[in-house]
Amino acid sequence: MDRRSFLKLSGVGLGAALLGTKQADPARASHAHSNGMAMLYDNTKCIGCRACQNACKEWNRNPPEAGPGGLYDAPTELSADTWTLIQVAKPEGSDEWAFLKRQCMHCLHPACVSACPVGALQQTEQGAVVYDPDRCIGCRYCMVACPFGVPKFEWEETLPFIRKCTFCIDRLEDGLEPACAAACPVGAIAFGERDSLIAEAEDRIRNNPGKYVNHIYGKDELGGTSMLYLSHIPFEELGLPTLGSEPVTRLSEVIATYGTPSVALSVATLLGGLYYGFTRREAGAEEIGAEEATRPEEREVEEA
Amino acid sequence: MITTKEGRLSVGYLILVALAVIGLTVGILRFVNGLGATTNLSDDYPWGLWIVYDVFFIPVSAGAFMISAVTHIYNREEYHTIARPVVLAGFLGYLFVVVILLMDLGRWHKFYNILIPMYWNLHSFMFEVSMCVTIYTGILIMEVAPAILERLKWQNLLGMIRPLTVLIAGAGIVLSSLHQSSLGSLFLLMPYKLHPLWWTPLLPLMFFTAAAFGGLSMAIFVAVVSFRAFRRRLELGLLTDLAKIVSIMLGIYLVLKVGDLLLAGELGLVLSEGWLSLLFLAEMVIGVIVPIILFGTPKMRESSSGLFWGAACVLVGLAINRTSVPLLALKATGGAVYFPHWMEFTVAAACVAAGVLLFDLAVRFLPVFPEPETEAV
Repeated sequence: MDRRSFLKLSGVGLGAALLGTKQADPARASHAHSNGMAMLYDNTKCIGCRACQNACKEWNRNPPEAGPGGLYDAPTELSADTWTLIQVAKPEGSDEWAFLKRQCMHCLHPACVSACPVGALQQTEQGAVVYDPDRCIGCRYCMVACPFGVPKFEWEETLPFIRKCTFCIDRLEDGLEPACAAACPVGAIAFGERDSLIAEAEDRIRNNPGKYVNHIYGKDELGGTSMLYLSHIPFEELGLPTLGSEPVTRLSEVIATYGTPSVALSVATLLGGLYYGFTRREAGAEEIGAEEATRPEEREVEEA
Repeated sequence: MITTKEGRLSVGYLILVALAVIGLTVGILRFVNGLGATTNLSDDYPWGLWIVYDVFFIPVSAGAFMISAVTHIYNREEYHTIARPVVLAGFLGYLFVVVILLMDLGRWHKFYNILIPMYWNLHSFMFEVSMCVTIYTGILIMEVAPAILERLKWQNLLGMIRPLTVLIAGAGIVLSSLHQSSLGSLFLLMPYKLHPLWWTPLLPLMFFTAAAFGGLSMAIFVAVVSFRAFRRRLELGLLTDLAKIVSIMLGIYLVLKVGDLLLAGELGLVLSEGWLSLLFLAEMVIGVIVPIILFGTPKMRESSSGLFWGAACVLVGLAINRTSVPLLALKATGGAVYFPHWMEFTVAAACVAAGVLLFDLAVRFLPVFPEPETEAV
C-alpha cells in the first residue's frame, strides 16, 4: 500500500489545523524514548543457526511447537509460544539468500500501546513494550493495530492472554542483555543504546561500500523502532513492510485528545441551543417558560 | 408477522425461538471452551464476524438517538407515534451488541477493567467505544423505562423520570455522536492495513454520517414493517419527511466519499483494485445512489413500498461497508483466509432472533404503539 499522504486532511478544518502544528502535540511526547535501549540485527552476519530462537524459548519457558505430522521442526510464523523467529528470504530471480529475525519491534510510538483500552500494554523507560496480563480484557485491538503483526493470542485457551516478545525486560532489569542477543554466536544481534547502535550501523554501511542496502530499517519507520536492521538485500524483499516516518499513533491520538471533547461540547451546545430556541418559540412571550428552557442546555454542557 | 390472528404460533415464531435456543447453547459452549474452539478466528484474523455484527448493529440502532433528537429537541410531537417502537428497537439492538461484545472478549470475565479509572487509556478509541456503549445502553434503558412503568402503573417513578426526558435524550445524542464516530476512529491507527478506498482521516466523520442515515433508515424500516405486522395505521407523512432527510444525508456522504478520494488523488482505486473496487462500488450503488433516487423522488418516498425498499437498500449498503472496514478491506498479517465458523453464525443469528422475539413480546405487553382511542404517548 502506498504511504498515505495527509493531503486528505485539507478537507477537514479542525483536523488540519491541529495536525499542522507538529510541536504543540501532547500525544507525541508521551511515547518518545529516542534513546532507550535497542538491538541491531545485521543479516550479513547472521548464519541462520536459530540459537536466538532457542534461547528465547528457554528463557521465557515457551514450549516448542510441533509442525504438521507431529515433528518439532522450526516454526514458520510468530505465535503465542514463539516470540522470535529466523526467516529466510530468497527474492525471485536472485541467487542470494537472506535471513530476517522477527520479533516485537518495540516501536518508539507503539500502535498497540495507543490501542489498548485498559493500558495492558505499556512502554517502559528503556523502550520495551510490555504487557500486563491482569489488565487485559482480550479485545485483540492491539493485534489488529500492530503494523508488524506481532501480538499473538492463546487461541487454545479458555481465557487467553496476549503474548509477545518482552525485550527480555526481566533480564534488562538485572543488567543482562536480551536472551537472543546473548545467544548469538556470530554477533549478528548487537544490544545497546539506540543512538550508539544507529551510529554503529552508519559506520558499517560507510566502511563496507556495496555490502549493505543504504538504509537502517527501524531508524525512522513509524517514528522509529527499538529494533534496527541492516540488510544486504532490499527490506521489502525481506518481507518487512514499507512504512513512512510518521507514527501511526499520531492522527489517532490527536483526534482522541482534541476531537472527542470538541465533538461532545459542540453537540451539547448545539442541542441546548436548538432546544432553547424551539421551547422559547413555543412558550411565546411567557418569561417563565424561557427561563426554564435554559437549564437543560447548561446541564448538558456540564455533562459533556 | 409472528403470531396468526387466532394467536397460535406461526412457523416464523418457532424458527426464531429455535434459533435463540440453539444460539444460547452455543454461547455457553463458547464460554466453556474459549474462542479458539468456537470460532475460526486466528492470529491472522483476530477480528471476524462478531466485530462485523457490532459495527453494523451500532449504527443501525442509531435510529433511536436520531428519532429522539427529532422528537425532543425539535419538539415535533407528531414523531412520538414512532418514537417508542424505534427507541425500543434501538435498545434491543444495543443490548445484543453488548452480548456479542462480551462473547468476543477473550477475557470476558475481566470486562469490568474498562470501568477502573486507573486503567483508562484516553488515547484509545476502543476505550471510548466501550465507555459509550456502556453508558448509552444505560440511557436507552431510561428511554425505554416509561413504557414499562406505564404498564406497571408506577406513577411515582414515572413522575421522577418524565422531567428528565429531555436531559436523557440530550445525553443520549451526545454519547451517540461520540460513539458512532469513534467506531470509525478505531481504524485511524491502521493506515497501512486498511485499504486506501476506506482509510482516510475522515473515518470518524464517515462513520458518523453513515450512522445518521443508517439509523434513520432503520427507523423507517422498523416503522413500515412493525406497523404493518401489528396492524396499526401508520402516518406515512412522518416517514416521508425522514426519507427526505436521509436522501440529503446520503448526498453528503457521497460527496465526502468521492471528494476524499479525489483530494487524495486516489479516485483511480475505484476501478483498479479488483474485488475490493467492486465492494466499494456495491456500497455506493446499492447503499447510496439507489436510495438517493428512491428517497429523492416524491412519488417513491410517499409510498410504503418505496420507503421499505429505500430503507432496505441503505441497510444493505451499510452492511457492505461494515463488513469491508473491519474485515474484508483490512489486510491480514499472514496468508490465511477466514470464513466464520458455524457457531459464529449461530450466535449472531440467535441475537437477531432474540431481538425480534423480545420486540414482539414488548409490543404485546407494553404500550409501545399508540392506541387509536386513548393517548398512550
